[in-house]
Amino acid sequence: MIRMLLATFSALLLAWAPGAAHANEAVLDHSPLPEDKAALVRGAEIVATNCNGCHGLKYLRYRHLLNLGVSKDKVDEWRGSQSLDAVLASQMSDEAAKESFGGVVPPDLSLMASAREGGGHYLYSYLTAYHNTQDGVLGNTVFPETRMPDVLGMATATDAQQKAGIQAQAKDVSAFLIWAADPHAAERKHLGSYVLAYLAFMTVLLYLWKRRIWARIDQEPPIE
Amino acid sequence: MFKQTIDWIDQRFPLTSFVKHELTGYPTPRNLSYWWNFGFLAGFVLVLQLATGIFLAMHYKPDAALAFDSVQHIMRDVNYGWLLRYLHSTGASAFFVVVYIHMARTLYYGSYRKPRELLWWTGQILLLLLMAISFMGYLLPWGQMSYWGAAVITNLFRATPFIGDQLVVWLRGDYGVGDATLTRFFALHYLFPFIISAAVVIHLVALHSVKSSNPSGINLADKDNIPFHPYFTIKDMFGLGVYLMVFCWFVFFAPNAFIEAANNIPANPMQTPAHIVPEWYFLPFYAILRAVPDLIGGVIAMALSVLIFAAMPYMDRSRIPGGAHYRPFYRILFYLFAVDILVLGWVGSQPVTNTTVIVGQVATFVYFAAFLALPFISKIEERYLMSRKLPPALKSLLDAQGERSAK
Ligand code: HEC
Ligand code: HEM
Repeated sequence: MIRMLLATFSALLLAWAPGAAHANEAVLDHSPLPEDKAALVRGAEIVATNCNGCHGLKYLRYRHLLNLGVSKDKVDEWRGSQSLDAVLASQMSDEAAKESFGGVVPPDLSLMASAREGGGHYLYSYLTAYHNTQDGVLGNTVFPETRMPDVLGMATATDAQQKAGIQAQAKDVSAFLIWAADPHAAERKHLGSYVLAYLAFMTVLLYLWKRRIWARIDQEPPIE
Repeated sequence: MFKQTIDWIDQRFPLTSFVKHELTGYPTPRNLSYWWNFGFLAGFVLVLQLATGIFLAMHYKPDAALAFDSVQHIMRDVNYGWLLRYLHSTGASAFFVVVYIHMARTLYYGSYRKPRELLWWTGQILLLLLMAISFMGYLLPWGQMSYWGAAVITNLFRATPFIGDQLVVWLRGDYGVGDATLTRFFALHYLFPFIISAAVVIHLVALHSVKSSNPSGINLADKDNIPFHPYFTIKDMFGLGVYLMVFCWFVFFAPNAFIEAANNIPANPMQTPAHIVPEWYFLPFYAILRAVPDLIGGVIAMALSVLIFAAMPYMDRSRIPGGAHYRPFYRILFYLFAVDILVLGWVGSQPVTNTTVIVGQVATFVYFAAFLALPFISKIEERYLMSRKLPPALKSLLDAQGERSAK
């Protein structure tokens, strides 16, 4: 409901620009993304062990992963000799990346879920949009000219079960990146329900009070 | 103790009499509708922007190399920094919603008409200041849309005759938008809200001299006025409650509705976004700018589209009091204009195509035609209304007004 309202509202009034996004909304897969802790932790693992090889996440520190609920052993394994307060810098230098990827440096992922039209749905669609064209060339329907390889192996997956597994991974990754882009979102919504409940209560009281005051308007003496 | 303190002050400063005269006892028409809540709400939003802005400024870094990261630092590390930032970024949009409704109220009920011309013009100045503040504030997070929006808009000043190019450099502090632009926009973004506060005081002084208009369109007899307190204090408080529910819903559940996705990418002077759009509140004016094929013409049309409101008191030549309530032709014009603005807003949000260009040009024509037709329509309407039997309610209003001015 809220999504629908928002969608109509933004379409009518705000009509966002695609900005730097490559996708047009129509091709995005809007299937629901998980929000539970377990999915975030699974997503963290894929991002730390796979994506982080090429992409930095400069607004995330290893300590944040601990707070999210990733086990200490795993975090220690990922960070190696780096301190818990180190940021998740890319394991590839910019020069090496440019060399490998035709001059582009893989963009930072910590804000990526907010930086593309479609947010998490864009990420999920992008990661699962890899396929082999008829002449055996790797293609991506969401971002056709992307220089990122098919890291989750979507195009090479042969059977439906394997595909489903990759899609589940892509969902966990997207869920984790949504969290990474706005880590206070859960706290925000939680606080928001209390704030709205309080305001609703106050507003009803104020309305009743207003009715009481205005009920005596006929006795109001004229202003001198 | 309290009373003694107040007495002590009153002997030295007109505190009680000021409060009584201008606040609690301020005579207010009893028939004001909820549309009269929005002026107070605008004041509230201003205070909220000042409060959140000052706390943001304690953590924000106006430096092209640090600004984007400092906003993320606010969002992630500062205690309730995310709340400050979302209140402030949503507050800017809320400010325009409230001010636009406030203006629409004024237009609908003819509150700009004699003797409230100066009040209307001070409001117009407030609108211009608000636009300047938001435009400069939007550069501060130093995202792609911040950067390119500022680049496009400052570039418009090239249209100034003779000194255009120098003027653009002077505004930006450099040949392109850069660190120098950011620091000056920050300084002015901090300063202007205090100028706007002073302008609000002038707006209120003007209001208290001519008093509030009301839905009937004529000045009420004294007996129909009631003291501001408690009647309108409580009504404003209730309105504030409703407003805050809507506002907080956006702040807590959809704050990113007001932050462009592209603005979460750090500013990059080497890479133009595919589609540069201003914030929603500028879209109708942006559409007018783009409707004119030539830069100078576009800039003039856009400036006129904002400034032309100032001429309203003189364009409306009818002797029928008030606004759209008793005036069928004016009412049609009002709604036509409102729809036209929505159409322009939509056009402004779209990439340029053949269709949007045509729609934009037609809507721009309608926009100005509505203003230019007003002097004639208001006269025709007056004759039409006078030649028919006036509705009894209007007639008694006119008689009452005539009697009072005869006295
Ligand atoms: C082998 C290196 C490599 C790995 C591993 C990698 N990426 Fe990328 N990624 C790239 C490159 C290179 C680009 C830049 C693509 C371009 O702009 O052409 C990119 C771009 C992206 C983009 C931005 C697309 C856009 O809209 O501009 C996203 C999102 C992304 N990667 C997500 C991921 C995720 C999630 C993972 C882990 C599952 C991952 N990447 C793993 C190399 C990599
Ligand atoms: C009339 C009132 C004001 C309006 C309409 C306004 C508007 C804005 C806007 C639109 C932004 C960009 C928001 C974003 O996308 O993040 C912004 C940012 C900012 N403003 Fe204001 N502002 C106002 C008052 C103030 C005041 C009084 C201060 C400080 C004294 C201030 C300090 C800041 C700072 C530090 C930022 C950058 C942080 C950020 O982007 O969130 N603002 N403002």
